[in-house]
Amino acid sequence: MVTNSPPVPPAQRSQRASGVLLAALMLPGLAALAALVPATATAESAPEKSTIAIQYGTYEDRQPGFDRVTVHAPQVYVQVPVANDWAIAGSWVGDSVSGASPRWHTERSSASRMSDYRKAGDIKVTRYLPRAALSASLAYSDEHDYTSRALGLEARWSGDDNNRTWIVGYGRALDKIDNTGSGINTAIDQHRRTHELMAGVTQVLTPTDIVQLNLTRSMGTGYYNDPYKTFDQRPDHRDAWIAVLRWNHYLGQADAALRSNYRYYTDTFGIRSHTVGIEWAQPLGRWTITPGVRYTTQRAASFYLDPVLDAQGRYDTGATLASAAGITGNKSFDTRLGSFGAATLSAKVGYAIAPETVISIKFEQYQQRSGLRLGGSGSPDIAPLHARFLQVGLTHQF
Amino acid sequence: MTCASRRRHGATAALVVLALLSGCSNLGQVHPWEKGKLAKAVMTFDDDPLEQRFNQHIYSSKEGASGGYGVGGGGCGCN
Repeated sequence: MVTNSPPVPPAQRSQRASGVLLAALMLPGLAALAALVPATATAESAPEKSTIAIQYGTYEDRQPGFDRVTVHAPQVYVQVPVANDWAIAGSWVGDSVSGASPRWHTERSSASRMSDYRKAGDIKVTRYLPRAALSASLAYSDEHDYTSRALGLEARWSGDDNNRTWIVGYGRALDKIDNTGSGINTAIDQHRRTHELMAGVTQVLTPTDIVQLNLTRSMGTGYYNDPYKTFDQRPDHRDAWIAVLRWNHYLGQADAALRSNYRYYTDTFGIRSHTVGIEWAQPLGRWTITPGVRYTTQRAASFYLDPVLDAQGRYDTGATLASAAGITGNKSFDTRLGSFGAATLSAKVGYAIAPETVISIKFEQYQQRSGLRLGGSGSPDIAPLHARFLQVGLTHQF
Repeated sequence: MTCASRRRHGATAALVVLALLSGCSNLGQVHPWEKGKLAKAVMTFDDDPLEQRFNQHIYSSKEGASGGYGVGGGGCGCN
C-alpha cells in the first residue's frame, strides 16, 4: 500500500525509544537489523489503529460418489501499533481435518480414513522508519505428524514521491515429519529445510493504477515423500522460482476496483503452473460485493506416474501398482503432482455495521480436473475434484 | 528447449521486468493529491490477511504449486 506520511516529530522520540526497547526484548536481533537503515531516511507509517479480525472457515472436497476431506478452521488476527513507530501483528488458526484420502491416484478403494488437528500461530514485529519499514516474523505450526518452524525478515522502502516501494525478504523454514510409523511409508524424525529469497517492487502507474511484481526463489532439501501414499518416493531437494504480478485498477464511473493477479511457478520436480485471478470489488454504500474467478493450469512432476488401464480402458489397480514396483527411482501416484487445470468461482459480501466494524461472508466453488488443463488433456483417468470454501469473518478497528 | 533452460528463461524474464521497472524513472509520476482513489480499501493488495491465508493454505494442499506471496510462512503436512 502506498503511503504519504510525514517525518516523526522530535517530541515522539522518547516514545520511539521505548518502542525500540520493547521490540528488542521481544525479538533479539531486530534492533541490530533496524540499525542498517540510515536514520536520515524518511518513512512508511505505522498503523494508527489496532485491528482485530476473527474468521471461521470451512472447506469440503469430494469426487464423484466419494466425500473426501472436511476442514473447520477458526482464525484470529490482531495488529497493534506500539509507540508510534512499531506494530505487532499476530494470528492463530486451529484446523480440524477429517475424512479420507486416496493412497494412489483418486482410487476410492484405496482411501484411508484420517483425522487431525493442526494449530498454527505467528507473530510479526514491524519497525517503521521514514520511508521504510523492517519486519521480522516467527511462525509455528504443529499437527500430530508434522511440525514447522519458520522465520521471516522483510525490508521495504519507498522513494521520495512514494510512487515506488521496494521489498526484499528472506524466509527460513525447518519442518519435521514424524508419523510414528502410522503411514504406508514410515517417516520417523525426518526433516525438511527451506530457504526463501524474495524481491519485489510496487509501482503507482497512474492515479487509478498500481502494480506489484514479486519474485521468489525457494530452495529446499530433505524429506518430500508423502507417508500416506503408496509407492511415494520423491527427490530430496526442491527448488522453485515463483513470480507474482498483481495489478489493481480503479474504475471511476463504477466506483469499483478491478483486481487481477498472475503467478508463474516452476520447480525442480518438473511442475510448472500458471495461475490467474480476477476480482471486481464494488462498494455500494455500506456494502462491498466482490465476485471473483481464479484459474490455474499445471504440468505434472517428472516422476508422476499415470495409471495403467485395462483393455476396456478402466483403471487396472494391479498393473498400476506393478508398474511402480518396477521403478527404482523417484515415483508418485499423488494426483496433486499430476497434470490438470482448476477453476474457482467466488463471491464475497462485506457489510460495515459501523464505521470501524465490517462483517463478511465469502463462498467459493472449486473444480479440479484433467480436462481443464490449458493446451493439453492433462493426466488420464483421474476423478475430478470438487470443493467448497466458506469463510465468515468480522474485522474491527479501534 | 529443455526444462532447465525454460526455467532459466522464466527467471531471466522476471528479473528483466524488475530491472525495467527500476530503470523507468519517469514511470508513474503521480502526485500525492492524485492518490485518493489508490488509498481506498478496495485498492489494497492484501485487504484481508485471514482470507488470503486460508485460501493459500487450501490451494497449496490441493495443487502442486504454492508460494510467491511472502516469506516465512512455514509448511504443513496437509492431505
